[in-house]
Amino acid sequence: MLDLPAHIRQQWPYPPRHARVNGWRMHYVDEGSGDPVVLLHGNPTWGFLYREFVAPLTTAGYRVIIPDMIGFGLSEKPAREHAHTLDGHIANLTALLRGLDLQRITLVCHDWGGPTGLGFAFANPARMRALVLMSTWGWPLPPAEFHTRVFPWRMMHAPLIGPYLLGRHNALAGRGVYLSVVDRKRFAERAQAAYEAVLPDPASRLLTWVWPRWIPMNDTARALDRFAWLERGLRACTLPTLLIWGHADDVFDPAVFAARFKQLLPHAEGPHFVTGRHFLQEDSGPEIAAIVSDFLQRLA
Amino acid sequence: MTGVTVIAPPALDGCHLAPFLIEDRLGHFPEFREFFVRSFDLGRVGLARPGYLRAPSGNIYALIFIGRSGEAFPAGVEIHAVVPALEPIDEPQVDRDLWAVLRWTIDGIGGEWSVEKLQSSGRLFRIPPALDEP
Repeated sequence: MLDLPAHIRQQWPYPPRHARVNGWRMHYVDEGSGDPVVLLHGNPTWGFLYREFVAPLTTAGYRVIIPDMIGFGLSEKPAREHAHTLDGHIANLTALLRGLDLQRITLVCHDWGGPTGLGFAFANPARMRALVLMSTWGWPLPPAEFHTRVFPWRMMHAPLIGPYLLGRHNALAGRGVYLSVVDRKRFAERAQAAYEAVLPDPASRLLTWVWPRWIPMNDTARALDRFAWLERGLRACTLPTLLIWGHADDVFDPAVFAARFKQLLPHAEGPHFVTGRHFLQEDSGPEIAAIVSDFLQRLA
Repeated sequence: MTGVTVIAPPALDGCHLAPFLIEDRLGHFPEFREFFVRSFDLGRVGLARPGYLRAPSGNIYALIFIGRSGEAFPAGVEIHAVVPALEPIDEPQVDRDLWAVLRWTIDGIGGEWSVEKLQSSGRLFRIPPALDEP
Protein backbone atom coordinates (compact mmCIF):
# COMPACT_ATOMS: atom_id res chain seq x y z
CA MET A 1 0.00 0.00 0.00
CA LEU A 2 1.33 3.43 -0.90
CA ASP A 3 1.94 5.84 1.93
CA LEU A 4 -0.53 8.65 1.25
CA PRO A 5 0.01 12.00 3.03
CA ALA A 6 -2.19 12.48 6.12
CA HIS A 7 -4.26 15.28 4.60
CA ILE A 8 -5.02 13.01 1.65
CA ARG A 9 -5.93 10.02 3.82
CA GLN A 10 -8.38 12.24 5.71
CA GLN A 11 -10.18 12.96 2.46
CA TRP A 12 -10.06 9.31 1.35
CA PRO A 13 -11.01 7.18 4.37
CA TYR A 14 -12.58 4.37 2.39
CA PRO A 15 -11.43 0.80 3.00
CA PRO A 16 -9.48 -0.53 0.03
CA ARG A 17 -10.90 -3.46 -1.91
CA HIS A 18 -9.17 -5.43 -4.60
CA ALA A 19 -10.27 -7.64 -7.46
CA ARG A 20 -8.25 -9.76 -9.86
CA VAL A 21 -9.09 -8.59 -13.39
CA ASN A 22 -7.45 -10.23 -16.39
CA GLY A 23 -4.33 -11.02 -14.37
CA TRP A 24 -4.03 -7.56 -12.78
CA ARG A 25 -4.82 -6.38 -9.25
CA MET A 26 -7.48 -3.68 -9.40
CA HIS A 27 -8.23 -1.42 -6.45
CA TYR A 28 -11.74 -0.10 -5.92
CA VAL A 29 -13.96 1.50 -3.34
CA ASP A 30 -17.41 0.06 -2.63
CA GLU A 31 -19.60 2.14 -0.28
CA GLY A 32 -23.31 2.27 0.48
CA SER A 33 -26.18 0.18 -0.80
CA GLY A 34 -28.81 0.54 -3.50
CA ASP A 35 -28.58 0.79 -7.26
CA PRO A 36 -24.89 1.05 -8.20
CA VAL A 37 -23.26 4.24 -9.40
CA VAL A 38 -19.83 3.48 -10.89
CA LEU A 39 -17.49 6.48 -11.12
CA LEU A 40 -14.75 6.23 -13.77
CA HIS A 41 -11.66 8.44 -13.87
CA GLY A 42 -9.19 9.03 -16.69
CA ASN A 43 -5.59 10.16 -17.19
CA PRO A 44 -3.70 10.71 -14.84
CA THR A 45 -6.15 10.61 -11.96
CA TRP A 46 -7.65 7.90 -9.76
CA GLY A 47 -10.68 7.38 -7.55
CA PHE A 48 -9.66 10.31 -5.36
CA LEU A 49 -11.08 12.56 -8.09
CA TYR A 50 -14.56 11.51 -6.87
CA ARG A 51 -13.93 11.92 -3.13
CA GLU A 52 -16.69 14.52 -2.82
CA PHE A 53 -19.23 12.26 -4.53
CA VAL A 54 -19.21 9.36 -2.08
CA ALA A 55 -21.10 10.87 0.88
CA PRO A 56 -23.88 12.58 -1.08
CA LEU A 57 -24.53 9.58 -3.31
CA THR A 58 -24.50 6.99 -0.53
CA THR A 59 -26.71 9.24 1.60
CA ALA A 60 -29.13 9.48 -1.33
CA GLY A 61 -29.41 5.69 -1.37
CA TYR A 62 -26.89 4.52 -3.91
CA ARG A 63 -24.06 2.00 -3.84
CA VAL A 64 -20.93 3.87 -4.99
CA ILE A 65 -18.18 1.92 -6.72
CA ILE A 66 -14.98 3.69 -7.75
CA PRO A 67 -12.36 1.58 -9.52
CA ASP A 68 -8.80 2.70 -10.17
CA MET A 69 -7.95 1.88 -13.77
CA ILE A 70 -5.11 -0.65 -14.05
CA GLY A 71 -1.98 1.54 -14.29
CA PHE A 72 -3.32 4.29 -12.03
CA GLY A 73 -4.14 5.02 -8.42
CA LEU A 74 -3.86 2.13 -6.02
CA SER A 75 -4.22 -0.51 -8.74
CA GLU A 76 -1.36 -2.55 -10.15
CA LYS A 77 0.81 -0.70 -12.67
CA PRO A 78 2.09 -2.75 -15.60
CA ALA A 79 5.68 -2.09 -16.61
CA ARG A 80 5.25 -2.47 -20.37
CA GLU A 81 3.34 -0.20 -22.69
CA HIS A 82 1.91 -3.19 -24.54
CA ALA A 83 -0.19 -4.03 -21.46
CA HIS A 84 -2.34 -1.00 -22.21
CA THR A 85 -5.00 -1.09 -24.92
CA LEU A 86 -8.47 0.40 -25.00
CA ASP A 87 -10.00 -3.06 -25.40
CA GLY A 88 -7.92 -4.33 -22.48
CA HIS A 89 -9.13 -1.55 -20.20
CA ILE A 90 -12.76 -2.14 -21.21
CA ALA A 91 -12.24 -5.84 -20.44
CA ASN A 92 -10.72 -4.95 -17.05
CA LEU A 93 -13.77 -2.88 -16.13
CA THR A 94 -16.05 -5.62 -17.41
CA ALA A 95 -14.28 -8.21 -15.26
CA LEU A 96 -14.79 -6.06 -12.16
CA LEU A 97 -18.44 -5.17 -12.74
CA ARG A 98 -19.46 -8.68 -13.79
CA GLY A 99 -17.48 -10.10 -10.88
CA LEU A 100 -19.56 -7.91 -8.55
CA ASP A 101 -22.63 -8.95 -10.56
CA LEU A 102 -23.87 -5.37 -10.74
CA GLN A 103 -27.26 -4.61 -12.29
CA ARG A 104 -29.03 -1.29 -13.00
CA ILE A 105 -25.66 0.45 -13.28
CA THR A 106 -25.23 4.18 -13.72
CA LEU A 107 -21.80 4.89 -15.20
CA VAL A 108 -20.25 8.28 -14.51
CA CYS A 109 -17.50 8.79 -17.09
CA HIS A 110 -14.69 11.34 -17.27
CA ASP A 111 -11.81 11.57 -19.76
CA TRP A 112 -10.62 7.99 -20.61
CA GLY A 113 -13.39 6.77 -18.33
CA GLY A 114 -15.62 7.73 -21.28
CA PRO A 115 -14.39 5.34 -23.98
CA THR A 116 -13.81 2.68 -21.32
CA GLY A 117 -17.21 3.05 -19.69
CA LEU A 118 -19.09 3.36 -22.97
CA GLY A 119 -17.36 0.19 -24.15
CA PHE A 120 -18.71 -1.64 -21.11
CA ALA A 121 -22.16 -0.08 -21.46
CA PHE A 122 -22.62 -1.05 -25.11
CA ALA A 123 -21.27 -4.59 -24.58
CA ASN A 124 -23.40 -5.17 -21.45
CA PRO A 125 -26.65 -3.29 -22.10
CA ALA A 126 -28.75 -5.52 -19.84
CA ARG A 127 -26.72 -4.38 -16.81
CA MET A 128 -27.10 -0.66 -17.54
CA ARG A 129 -29.47 1.95 -16.11
CA ALA A 130 -28.01 5.36 -17.10
CA LEU A 131 -24.98 7.35 -18.24
CA VAL A 132 -23.36 10.52 -16.96
CA LEU A 133 -20.73 12.00 -19.31
CA MET A 134 -18.21 14.70 -18.41
CA SER A 135 -15.31 16.11 -20.45
CA THR A 136 -14.84 13.04 -22.61
CA TRP A 137 -15.51 11.66 -26.08
CA GLY A 138 -16.63 8.46 -27.79
CA TRP A 139 -15.95 8.63 -31.53
CA PRO A 140 -12.92 8.24 -33.78
CA LEU A 141 -12.33 11.61 -35.41
CA PRO A 142 -11.71 14.49 -35.48
CA PRO A 143 -9.57 14.90 -32.38
CA ALA A 144 -9.91 17.85 -30.06
CA GLU A 145 -8.06 20.91 -31.33
CA PHE A 146 -6.05 20.74 -28.09
CA HIS A 147 -4.85 17.25 -29.03
CA THR A 148 -3.59 18.38 -32.44
CA ARG A 149 -1.16 20.98 -31.06
CA VAL A 150 2.54 20.16 -30.88
CA PHE A 151 2.83 22.48 -27.88
CA PRO A 152 2.01 21.34 -25.34
CA TRP A 153 0.09 18.15 -26.12
CA ARG A 154 1.96 16.20 -28.78
CA MET A 155 5.37 17.28 -27.52
CA MET A 156 4.43 16.15 -24.02
CA HIS A 157 3.97 12.49 -24.98
CA ALA A 158 6.28 12.26 -28.01
CA PRO A 159 8.81 9.40 -28.17
CA LEU A 160 11.46 9.78 -25.45
CA ILE A 161 9.99 13.12 -24.40
CA GLY A 162 6.98 11.42 -22.80
CA PRO A 163 9.15 9.12 -20.68
CA TYR A 164 11.28 12.14 -19.72
CA LEU A 165 8.63 14.79 -18.95
CA LEU A 166 5.83 12.56 -17.72
CA GLY A 167 7.99 9.68 -16.50
CA ARG A 168 11.07 11.18 -14.86
CA HIS A 169 9.35 14.43 -13.86
CA ASN A 170 5.71 13.31 -13.33
CA ALA A 171 4.62 16.37 -15.29
CA LEU A 172 1.04 15.31 -15.99
CA ALA A 173 0.02 14.19 -12.50
CA GLY A 174 1.63 17.22 -10.94
CA ARG A 175 1.69 20.35 -13.00
CA GLY A 176 -0.62 19.03 -15.72
CA VAL A 177 -3.67 18.56 -13.50
CA TYR A 178 -2.84 21.80 -11.67
CA LEU A 179 -3.02 23.71 -14.95
CA SER A 180 -6.42 22.20 -15.79
CA VAL A 181 -8.37 23.31 -12.72
CA VAL A 182 -9.82 26.74 -11.99
CA ASP A 183 -8.92 27.15 -8.31
CA ARG A 184 -5.25 26.21 -8.48
CA LYS A 185 -4.37 27.38 -4.98
CA ARG A 186 -7.05 25.19 -3.42
CA PHE A 187 -6.04 22.27 -5.62
CA ALA A 188 -2.38 22.60 -4.69
CA GLU A 189 -3.19 22.69 -1.00
CA ARG A 190 -5.78 19.95 -0.85
CA ALA A 191 -5.42 17.52 -3.73
CA GLN A 192 -2.28 17.72 -5.85
CA ALA A 193 -0.28 15.45 -3.54
CA ALA A 194 -2.89 12.71 -3.99
CA TYR A 195 -2.23 12.49 -7.70
CA GLU A 196 1.54 12.69 -7.37
CA ALA A 197 1.85 10.26 -4.47
CA VAL A 198 0.27 7.31 -6.26
CA LEU A 199 2.76 7.61 -9.13
CA PRO A 200 5.99 7.67 -7.11
CA ASP A 201 8.48 6.34 -9.67
CA PRO A 202 9.05 6.87 -13.40
CA ALA A 203 8.01 3.30 -14.21
CA SER A 204 4.74 3.72 -12.30
CA ARG A 205 3.78 6.66 -14.57
CA LEU A 206 3.79 4.70 -17.83
CA LEU A 207 0.10 5.09 -18.60
CA THR A 208 0.32 8.89 -18.33
CA TRP A 209 2.12 8.99 -21.70
CA VAL A 210 0.69 5.79 -23.17
CA TRP A 211 -2.98 6.87 -22.98
CA PRO A 212 -2.37 10.06 -25.00
CA ARG A 213 -0.91 7.90 -27.76
CA TRP A 214 -4.23 6.03 -28.05
CA ILE A 215 -6.22 9.14 -28.92
CA PRO A 216 -7.07 8.79 -32.63
CA MET A 217 -5.37 11.56 -34.61
CA ASN A 218 -5.94 10.26 -38.14
CA ASP A 219 -7.35 7.28 -40.03
CA THR A 220 -4.33 5.08 -39.22
CA ALA A 221 -4.96 5.19 -35.46
CA ARG A 222 -4.82 1.91 -33.56
CA ALA A 223 -8.26 1.93 -31.95
CA LEU A 224 -10.14 3.53 -34.82
CA ASP A 225 -12.50 0.58 -35.27
CA ARG A 226 -13.30 0.46 -31.57
CA PHE A 227 -14.06 4.17 -31.49
CA ALA A 228 -16.24 3.80 -34.60
CA TRP A 229 -18.12 1.04 -32.73
CA LEU A 230 -18.54 3.38 -29.76
CA GLU A 231 -19.98 6.06 -32.01
CA ARG A 232 -22.46 3.58 -33.48
CA GLY A 233 -23.35 2.60 -29.93
CA LEU A 234 -23.99 6.22 -29.01
CA ARG A 235 -26.26 6.72 -32.04
CA ALA A 236 -28.30 3.69 -30.99
CA CYS A 237 -28.22 4.41 -27.27
CA THR A 238 -31.52 5.04 -25.47
CA LEU A 239 -30.13 5.02 -21.92
CA PRO A 240 -31.08 8.04 -19.85
CA THR A 241 -28.03 10.28 -20.10
CA LEU A 242 -26.80 13.36 -18.30
CA LEU A 243 -24.11 15.68 -19.72
CA ILE A 244 -22.04 17.85 -17.39
CA TRP A 245 -19.19 20.08 -18.54
CA GLY A 246 -16.85 22.66 -17.09
CA HIS A 247 -17.44 26.20 -18.37
CA ALA A 248 -13.74 26.58 -19.06
CA ASP A 249 -12.88 23.08 -20.28
CA ASP A 250 -9.48 23.46 -21.91
CA VAL A 251 -9.27 19.94 -23.40
CA PHE A 252 -12.74 18.92 -24.63
CA ASP A 253 -14.27 22.21 -25.74
CA PRO A 254 -17.93 22.03 -24.70
CA ALA A 255 -19.00 23.86 -27.86
CA VAL A 256 -17.64 20.89 -29.82
CA PHE A 257 -17.73 17.86 -27.54
CA ALA A 258 -20.79 18.40 -25.36
CA ALA A 259 -22.57 19.55 -28.51
CA ARG A 260 -21.61 16.38 -30.36
CA PHE A 261 -22.83 14.18 -27.49
CA LYS A 262 -26.09 16.13 -27.60
CA GLN A 263 -26.32 15.48 -31.33
CA LEU A 264 -25.66 11.74 -30.89
CA LEU A 265 -27.89 11.48 -27.81
CA PRO A 266 -30.67 14.00 -28.42
CA HIS A 267 -32.58 12.70 -25.42
CA ALA A 268 -29.68 13.52 -23.08
CA GLU A 269 -30.26 16.02 -20.29
CA GLY A 270 -27.91 19.00 -20.31
CA PRO A 271 -25.24 19.92 -20.75
CA HIS A 272 -25.19 21.33 -17.25
CA PHE A 273 -22.31 23.76 -16.93
CA VAL A 274 -20.32 24.08 -13.73
CA THR A 275 -17.20 25.93 -12.66
CA GLY A 276 -14.32 23.88 -13.98
CA ARG A 277 -11.76 23.16 -16.60
CA HIS A 278 -10.94 19.58 -17.71
CA PHE A 279 -10.80 18.24 -14.14
CA LEU A 280 -14.15 19.77 -13.24
CA GLN A 281 -14.64 17.45 -10.25
CA GLU A 282 -11.82 19.33 -8.48
CA ASP A 283 -13.66 22.65 -8.69
CA SER A 284 -17.29 21.56 -8.46
CA GLY A 285 -17.40 18.11 -6.86
CA PRO A 286 -20.36 18.67 -4.49
CA GLU A 287 -22.34 20.55 -7.14
CA ILE A 288 -21.83 17.78 -9.71
CA ALA A 289 -22.71 15.11 -7.15
CA ALA A 290 -25.95 16.96 -6.42
CA ILE A 291 -26.79 17.20 -10.13
CA VAL A 292 -26.14 13.47 -10.56
CA SER A 293 -28.18 12.60 -7.47
CA ASP A 294 -31.10 14.77 -8.63
CA PHE A 295 -30.96 13.16 -12.10
CA LEU A 296 -31.04 9.66 -10.58
CA GLN A 297 -33.86 10.50 -8.19
CA ARG A 298 -35.97 11.71 -11.10
CA LEU A 299 -35.24 8.50 -13.03
CA ALA A 300 -36.52 6.48 -10.10
CA MET B 1 23.68 23.96 -31.63
CA THR B 2 22.90 21.42 -28.94
CA GLY B 3 26.44 20.29 -28.11
CA VAL B 4 25.52 16.62 -28.41
CA THR B 5 27.65 14.55 -30.80
CA VAL B 6 27.46 11.04 -32.18
CA ILE B 7 30.68 9.23 -31.31
CA ALA B 8 32.35 5.96 -32.19
CA PRO B 9 31.89 3.07 -29.74
CA PRO B 10 34.02 3.91 -26.70
CA ALA B 11 36.08 1.55 -24.57
CA LEU B 12 33.79 0.25 -21.86
CA ASP B 13 36.39 -1.24 -19.53
CA GLY B 14 35.66 -0.29 -15.94
CA CYS B 15 32.20 1.04 -16.84
CA HIS B 16 28.64 -0.12 -16.57
CA LEU B 17 25.51 0.92 -18.43
CA ALA B 18 22.77 2.50 -16.31
CA PRO B 19 19.34 2.78 -17.98
CA PHE B 20 17.65 6.17 -17.57
CA LEU B 21 15.11 6.54 -20.34
CA ILE B 22 13.13 3.72 -21.95
CA GLU B 23 10.92 4.25 -24.97
CA ASP B 24 8.80 1.29 -26.10
CA ARG B 25 7.23 3.01 -29.09
CA LEU B 26 9.82 5.07 -30.93
CA GLY B 27 7.67 5.13 -34.07
CA HIS B 28 4.62 6.67 -32.42
CA PHE B 29 5.52 9.68 -34.50
CA PRO B 30 7.42 8.07 -37.42
CA GLU B 31 9.77 11.01 -37.88
CA PHE B 32 11.36 10.17 -34.51
CA ARG B 33 12.26 6.65 -35.62
CA GLU B 34 13.48 7.94 -38.98
CA PHE B 35 15.78 10.41 -37.23
CA PHE B 36 17.49 7.68 -35.23
CA VAL B 37 17.76 5.41 -38.27
CA ARG B 38 19.51 8.28 -40.06
CA SER B 39 21.71 9.34 -37.19
CA PHE B 40 23.05 5.87 -36.40
CA ASP B 41 22.88 4.26 -39.86
CA LEU B 42 20.52 1.67 -38.42
CA GLY B 43 19.44 0.42 -41.83
CA ARG B 44 22.97 -0.99 -42.15
CA VAL B 45 24.00 -1.51 -38.52
CA GLY B 46 20.74 -3.03 -37.27
CA LEU B 47 21.15 -4.64 -33.86
CA ALA B 48 24.90 -5.17 -34.24
CA ARG B 49 25.90 -2.50 -31.72
CA PRO B 50 24.48 0.41 -29.69
CA GLY B 51 24.76 3.99 -30.83
CA TYR B 52 26.78 6.36 -28.65
CA LEU B 53 26.40 10.05 -27.86
CA ARG B 54 28.59 12.50 -25.97
CA ALA B 55 26.62 15.09 -23.99
CA PRO B 56 27.90 18.65 -23.48
CA SER B 57 29.04 17.60 -19.99
CA GLY B 58 31.37 15.06 -21.58
CA ASN B 59 29.33 12.14 -20.29
CA ILE B 60 28.68 9.32 -22.73
CA TYR B 61 25.33 7.65 -23.38
CA ALA B 62 24.59 4.37 -25.12
CA LEU B 63 21.44 4.10 -27.20
CA ILE B 64 20.32 0.48 -27.29
CA PHE B 65 17.78 -0.03 -30.03
CA ILE B 66 15.00 -2.58 -29.60
CA GLY B 67 13.49 -4.77 -32.31
CA ARG B 68 9.98 -6.13 -31.98
CA SER B 69 8.45 -8.77 -34.24
CA GLY B 70 5.98 -7.33 -36.69
CA GLU B 71 7.08 -3.71 -36.20
CA ALA B 72 9.44 -1.44 -38.11
CA PHE B 73 12.96 -1.33 -36.67
CA PRO B 74 13.74 0.09 -34.21
CA ALA B 75 10.54 -0.37 -32.24
CA GLY B 76 12.06 1.16 -29.13
CA VAL B 77 15.22 2.60 -27.63
CA GLU B 78 16.83 2.63 -24.21
CA ILE B 79 19.20 5.43 -23.24
CA HIS B 80 21.86 4.25 -20.82
CA ALA B 81 24.48 6.36 -19.08
CA VAL B 82 27.99 4.95 -19.44
CA VAL B 83 29.31 5.40 -15.92
CA PRO B 84 32.25 4.25 -13.80
CA ALA B 85 31.44 0.74 -12.72
CA LEU B 86 31.45 1.19 -8.95
CA GLU B 87 30.64 4.88 -8.50
CA PRO B 88 27.30 6.53 -7.68
CA ILE B 89 25.66 8.45 -10.48
CA ASP B 90 25.30 12.23 -10.54
CA GLU B 91 21.59 12.14 -11.28
CA PRO B 92 21.00 15.89 -11.70
CA GLN B 93 23.80 15.92 -14.28
CA VAL B 94 22.25 12.94 -16.06
CA ASP B 95 18.94 14.81 -16.12
CA ARG B 96 20.61 17.82 -17.75
CA ASP B 97 22.33 15.51 -20.22
CA LEU B 98 19.06 13.81 -21.14
CA TRP B 99 17.46 17.20 -21.71
CA ALA B 100 20.35 18.04 -24.06
CA VAL B 101 19.82 14.74 -25.90
CA LEU B 102 16.13 15.55 -26.31
CA ARG B 103 17.01 19.00 -27.68
CA TRP B 104 19.42 17.34 -30.11
CA THR B 105 16.71 14.90 -31.15
CA ILE B 106 14.08 17.55 -31.75
CA ASP B 107 16.58 19.78 -33.55
CA GLY B 108 17.44 16.89 -35.84
CA ILE B 109 13.84 15.96 -36.58
CA GLY B 110 12.84 19.50 -37.46
CA GLY B 111 9.66 20.39 -39.30
CA GLU B 112 6.84 21.08 -36.88
CA TRP B 113 9.05 19.85 -34.02
CA SER B 114 11.15 22.74 -32.75
CA VAL B 115 13.54 23.20 -29.86
CA GLU B 116 11.52 26.30 -28.94
CA LYS B 117 8.40 24.18 -28.43
CA LEU B 118 10.37 21.63 -26.41
CA GLN B 119 11.78 24.45 -24.33
CA SER B 120 8.29 25.88 -23.82
CA SER B 121 7.08 22.44 -22.71
CA GLY B 122 9.95 22.16 -20.24
CA ARG B 123 9.17 25.58 -18.83
CA LEU B 124 5.42 24.90 -18.65
CA PHE B 125 6.06 21.81 -16.56
CA ARG B 126 8.91 23.45 -14.61
CA ILE B 127 11.54 20.93 -15.59
CA PRO B 128 14.79 22.04 -13.93
CA PRO B 129 17.10 21.88 -16.99
CA ALA B 130 14.57 23.90 -19.02
CA LEU B 131 14.27 26.52 -16.31
CA ASP B 132 18.04 26.82 -16.14
CA GLU B 133 18.29 27.80 -19.79
CA PRO B 134 18.20 31.47 -20.83
